[in-house]
Amino acid sequence: MDAVPPFDALLLRRYDRPGPRYTSYPTAPQFKADFGEAEFRACAARSNGDPIPRPLSLYLHVPFCVSPCFYCACNRIVTRDLSRGAAYVLRLLREIEYVAPLFARDRDVIQLHLGGGTPNFLSPAQIGELLQCLGRQFHFSSSPDRDFSIELDPRTVSAAAIGEYAALGLNRASFGVQDFDPEVQQAVNRIQSVAETLAVMEACRAHGFRSINIDLIYGLPKQTRAGFGRTLEAVIAARPDRLAVYSYAHLPELFKPQRQIEASQLPTPEDKLGLLQLAIERLSAAGYHYIGMDHFALPGDDLAVAQGRGGLRRNFMGYTTHAQTDLIGLGASSISAIGDCFSQNYRDLPDWEAALDAGRLPVWRGLQLSDDDLLRADVIQRLMCQGRIDIALLEDRHDIDFADYFADALRQLGPLQADGLVEVGAEAIVATSRGRLLLRIIAMCFDRYLQRPQSQPARFSKAI
Amino acid sequence: MLRELHCLVEHVGPYEAGQHIFREGEAFTAIAAVRTGTVKTSVVDPAGREQVLGFFLPGEVIGLNAIHQSRYPCNAVALDRVTLCRFSFPMVATLAQRLPDLQAQLFRLLSQDIGKATLLAGDYTAEERMAAFLITLSRRFAARGFSPRRFLLTMARTDIANYLRLAAETVSRLFRRFQDEGLIRVDRRDLEILDEARLRALAQPILRN
Repeated sequence: MDAVPPFDALLLRRYDRPGPRYTSYPTAPQFKADFGEAEFRACAARSNGDPIPRPLSLYLHVPFCVSPCFYCACNRIVTRDLSRGAAYVLRLLREIEYVAPLFARDRDVIQLHLGGGTPNFLSPAQIGELLQCLGRQFHFSSSPDRDFSIELDPRTVSAAAIGEYAALGLNRASFGVQDFDPEVQQAVNRIQSVAETLAVMEACRAHGFRSINIDLIYGLPKQTRAGFGRTLEAVIAARPDRLAVYSYAHLPELFKPQRQIEASQLPTPEDKLGLLQLAIERLSAAGYHYIGMDHFALPGDDLAVAQGRGGLRRNFMGYTTHAQTDLIGLGASSISAIGDCFSQNYRDLPDWEAALDAGRLPVWRGLQLSDDDLLRADVIQRLMCQGRIDIALLEDRHDIDFADYFADALRQLGPLQADGLVEVGAEAIVATSRGRLLLRIIAMCFDRYLQRPQSQPARFSKAI
Repeated sequence: MLRELHCLVEHVGPYEAGQHIFREGEAFTAIAAVRTGTVKTSVVDPAGREQVLGFFLPGEVIGLNAIHQSRYPCNAVALDRVTLCRFSFPMVATLAQRLPDLQAQLFRLLSQDIGKATLLAGDYTAEERMAAFLITLSRRFAARGFSPRRFLLTMARTDIANYLRLAAETVSRLFRRFQDEGLIRVDRRDLEILDEARLRALAQPILRN
């Protein structure tokens, strides 16, 4: 998957239907309340028992934002009361102290991510306190290729703060840009100038951050080709190592902040596709590689290099180059993926707080994966990362007859094959260059939970 | 042979992972063959530390070391979902007096049980112990008709470490090194032996054959 795939508007239009983004399989809506604290502890203990226990990834969720972006579908709390950060940090420290002893000390932390919300809602001193606590309770890898990253809001972070983050060992940063067009920024309530964004990027580079990611969104209200084209131009000139270009999913009945967006201001489906096409053309011309789903990277970036080697993986934090890790999610709403289990912390802050105040792990729900789940997760992971499924390899790993086991999925792939999205051969199933923009449509054929008529109505965003 | 004694056999279980099958000091009434799953036997020393004595795979017999004192001298715990065939020992013993084949089989089992302990008795390196452990497991699986090349390590690394008298970190380091050197491939609990000859050569000081 090196070059950016060719674009076929007609085809994309036909397959513009809701589907999961497969940062996990099964997806979070399948998590159940019968998986709680006891199951989490047992799962952690089992994961320590592997002959070579997986290294660890840590995710810390900071749910606060000082102002609401109207497109947001994240779990977050809008407040200007900075004291809430201090109270949150105190409980996070307690959660770390409860959770860390469940994991063997010789398991290195090779990946750490601070996400939100807005992590820099917390002061550098507070973030330092969290990282120091984590460093005491876990064993941080000393390898230079460990990934310790933070999402930053260029509107509220100072150059001095960035120096402090770097001193704490953070080495990757991710910024939301979405669109620099002032009209769009007004419509989504996120006013952010090119100059302040570039200044923050510059500060990150000056302080030795290894990699910078920028998020863009297409399909926002008042977005135009001309305006988005200027945004792309400015972003490409800044040369971030990675770019994510997400589709805006307007689901106001599900996400309250989106009710502030006037549906009449949204681009038509044709215009939205045009914006995606524009992004693909411009990024391609600028030398970015298409990684998969919504992600692009410069040729020298770890992601692009790992993809060439077949070493790419996907987890709740998106694409990563690291070996399989067990992911420990800390903070309200965060998700853990340990061994064969997924679990999620209480999503609502008061529930998360109450559990910790009562001395309990704040596990809200989860899932112990069955053999069938593990097999399908493997198939979908390969599809998302390599764009292909090697049949013999899966048959050997999971002790199945592929054609027999996946007869249903293969039938569903028929129309996709006819449309030239996928090639189904005797040895492998391969997403074509046309199909690579629609990986989740291909993956959906293998999703058992979508096949059952009694399953819940789709709560997923559209594929494009 | 044991199969012919179905009149003495009682099918028991399933026991779930972590559940005790018998405890140290309990009165000994029966030996049991593992049908499915893995059983770990261990004792707890006066300081409260667990010492792992062994692992029993499908087809292997637990409880033989209780015959002498009529009490179980150790704990037996299921490592995964375990089912057993239990044989009332007084009845087996009586029957063995009449059936020479059964008696011979019992002696063979007893002799094997004693032989297992030698893996740890000598002054061997960590590498030699680990290699011998894996080769022995492979042979035991083969003897029961399972793949000798690829099997599931149902025991936690802390149990393996305890059994081999090594630190858990050392066990992982050895697994990683064996993997890097192309001797084995490890994927979670799934173990594949890639170079049996080299692994056997490493284990040679302990296994001898």
